[in-house]
Amino acid sequence: MTRLLRFLETIGALFVFAGGVARATFTAPHYWAETLRLINVLVLRCIIPVSLAVAPVGAVISLQGIMIFKLFGAERMLSSFLGTAIFREYSPALASVMVAAQAGSSIAARIGTMKVRGQIDALAVMSVDPVRYVVVPGVIACVFVAPLLSILTNLLGVFSGWVFAVPIGGIDHGAFMENLTAQITPADLWIGLGKCAVFGLGVGLIAGYLGLNVGRGAADVGKAANDTVVSTIVLILLVDYAVSMVLLGAGL
Amino acid sequence: MNPQAQPAGPPAVELGPPAVELVDVSKSFGTNKVLDRVSLTVDRGSIMVMLGPSGTGKSVLLRCLVGLLKPDSGKVLVFGEDVAALDEGRRRDRDKLFAIRRRFGMLFQDGALFDDMSVFDNVAFPMRLHTKLSEEQIREKVSDRLTRVGVAHSERKFPSELSGGMRKRVAFARAIAIDPDIVLCDEPSSGLDPVMSATLDELILELHRTLGMTFIIISHDTAEARKVADTIGMLANGRLVTYGKAEQVFADNHPALAQFFTRATQGPIKVV
Amino acid sequence: MGLISKLIEFVRFTLLALRLQFTTLPPRDILVTQTVDAGWGSLGLLTMLTIFAGLNLSVQSYGSFERFGGQDLLGMFAGIGGVRELYPVMAAVVCGARIGANLAASLANMKISEQIEALEVMAIDPMRHLVAPRLWAVTLSLPLLCGYADVIGLGASYVGAVWQLGLDGGSFITQVKEQVQLSDLLTGMFKGLVMGWLIAVISCFHGYTVAKRDGAEGVGIATNLAIVHGAVMCIVVNLLLSWMIYG
Repeated sequence: MTRLLRFLETIGALFVFAGGVARATFTAPHYWAETLRLINVLVLRCIIPVSLAVAPVGAVISLQGIMIFKLFGAERMLSSFLGTAIFREYSPALASVMVAAQAGSSIAARIGTMKVRGQIDALAVMSVDPVRYVVVPGVIACVFVAPLLSILTNLLGVFSGWVFAVPIGGIDHGAFMENLTAQITPADLWIGLGKCAVFGLGVGLIAGYLGLNVGRGAADVGKAANDTVVSTIVLILLVDYAVSMVLLGAGL
Repeated sequence: MNPQAQPAGPPAVELGPPAVELVDVSKSFGTNKVLDRVSLTVDRGSIMVMLGPSGTGKSVLLRCLVGLLKPDSGKVLVFGEDVAALDEGRRRDRDKLFAIRRRFGMLFQDGALFDDMSVFDNVAFPMRLHTKLSEEQIREKVSDRLTRVGVAHSERKFPSELSGGMRKRVAFARAIAIDPDIVLCDEPSSGLDPVMSATLDELILELHRTLGMTFIIISHDTAEARKVADTIGMLANGRLVTYGKAEQVFADNHPALAQFFTRATQGPIKVV
Repeated sequence: MGLISKLIEFVRFTLLALRLQFTTLPPRDILVTQTVDAGWGSLGLLTMLTIFAGLNLSVQSYGSFERFGGQDLLGMFAGIGGVRELYPVMAAVVCGARIGANLAASLANMKISEQIEALEVMAIDPMRHLVAPRLWAVTLSLPLLCGYADVIGLGASYVGAVWQLGLDGGSFITQVKEQVQLSDLLTGMFKGLVMGWLIAVISCFHGYTVAKRDGAEGVGIATNLAIVHGAVMCIVVNLLLSWMIYG
């Protein structure tokens, strides 16, 4: 029971924190240089893990999908399924999960280390609001980087799916391309980007919160990074499911 | 420069090779030469304090003694056996190295207690692994060690619950758990207030008096050196600028030593 | 170059770990605590996530299949796609992230607080004492977790298909029974074995090789690397294994 209460308390604190971050984001002063630097760093750091994570998914969908579709003589439909699955589900979800793993844990670890070493207090004493300087840039960067990377993963996922479908799986290239583009709607793309932005927001907020509230020692820094990754992944999958249900109901 | 220190109480000085002997030991990290042809002897049953500015080769020297680091050249003789010549990859050498290590006890700078064990288990750890004592005997011995260092009441606590001073004392108890011949101390008084570090110094003297072990202490606490050392040495810029029986070294008063003891900013020791 | 030397170090570490793992049996009590921590500790999280993944698989696949009239294939797809691919990988990535982060963080912390050196000075081989039991614990736990995920996930996608989407439960079950075989479950568990071992080695490597002077920052970096490398490795290895087994 106490665990549940403590959990709810954390959620409440998180919302309060989010409010503070929102206020800091939409009012001056801003530390744009720091934000741009962080965006740069995150893109560079995340691009490889994200790519390596999504490419195999397209490949696997083709690999297993060919077998299933072949049973009904509907191999040409594979690309249609591949495209929708990648664009609407796996690309945004995986891109966000990898951003959570890479960016989330490194931001939480960085903030946590700064806290443990007293650098956060040092900022405050120099009348620099730590939330403005350290957390807000992180949040903005994640909101921006996750959708950006999902565009890349959209292409990569479809490409690797193509590789395992056409050259390796023997499906007709023309049919593949025709069915691929036929079924993907602009709505798919926008929904994917929107999801990523929301997930990125979650990652930035949680990483900032857990980093600032880290315990005393070095071991707690690792714990903060771990908790960030685990809770954001849970969040992403929960929200993803909810959104899928809603969209299905709305006939999208 | 060979001190003939005689311990005041039991046990009597054993005959045989000195506890530790370094012969022309050198070690560099990149272009930074932290040990430059260092030679010294530590007699059995003596207390040797090695002074020197921070970030010099003092810690490196200590680690060479137990084979945690290997010198680039020179010999590191522990009771006559050259630790530096042992190759940890070879089975027989590794066994020899482990046998030598069992004669050491080491007090690390922040204690290095195992976080996932209680104080009791931390001190019992080497006993359980290296001796054939029964649990009953272990319990007695752990109690004895903890009492000697003054933390008898904290057996069930965990390291994270202890203050810095208490952690050090528990680490001390662990270092002497299986009656080592040589105790190494890596800056024992760092991070402690003057009273606490004085208490630790008393402890060293007490243990030396009653158990007769050899102590090798690296420190930059000059008061500590004055209080406990039979033998004093000083490392500056990688070289052993002075070494010998305490009285002799103080009498010689090498400029680096003088600078250290008078806390002068000018002198041979440069702030890097 | 830094990257090449790190890779060489990793290979050496892996070979040493392999040798240790098969020449010694770690102390039983440590092994048990580690296994319980890795396996049991991940169970709650995994259950929740797999249930949602299973539900989501049904719901989302339905949306895609509906577009070209293939919604009746749902049972088969959810069964095969889920059991063979989605659930083992998800279990490995999520549990791997949690387990790997714990391993890396605790080993890194021990490194920077000189506890590992303390072990060496007390004539104990830290690889044997610390790393080997952890390797065993994770290698044993993950296949079980993957198998568990397969079962839960399949159940959840059934619930999703029947209760949320209103499909015919009987037809779903028939399709699953026809297409999904025990070998698929076992393959999932085998994947878990391979991925589990790799997660353990990667995490232990990053934790163990942290530089002492990096301090708290080093722990954060080690944790980060363990999580990311572990997750990517799971997904890539899964593809390779699937290709070998099913391709």
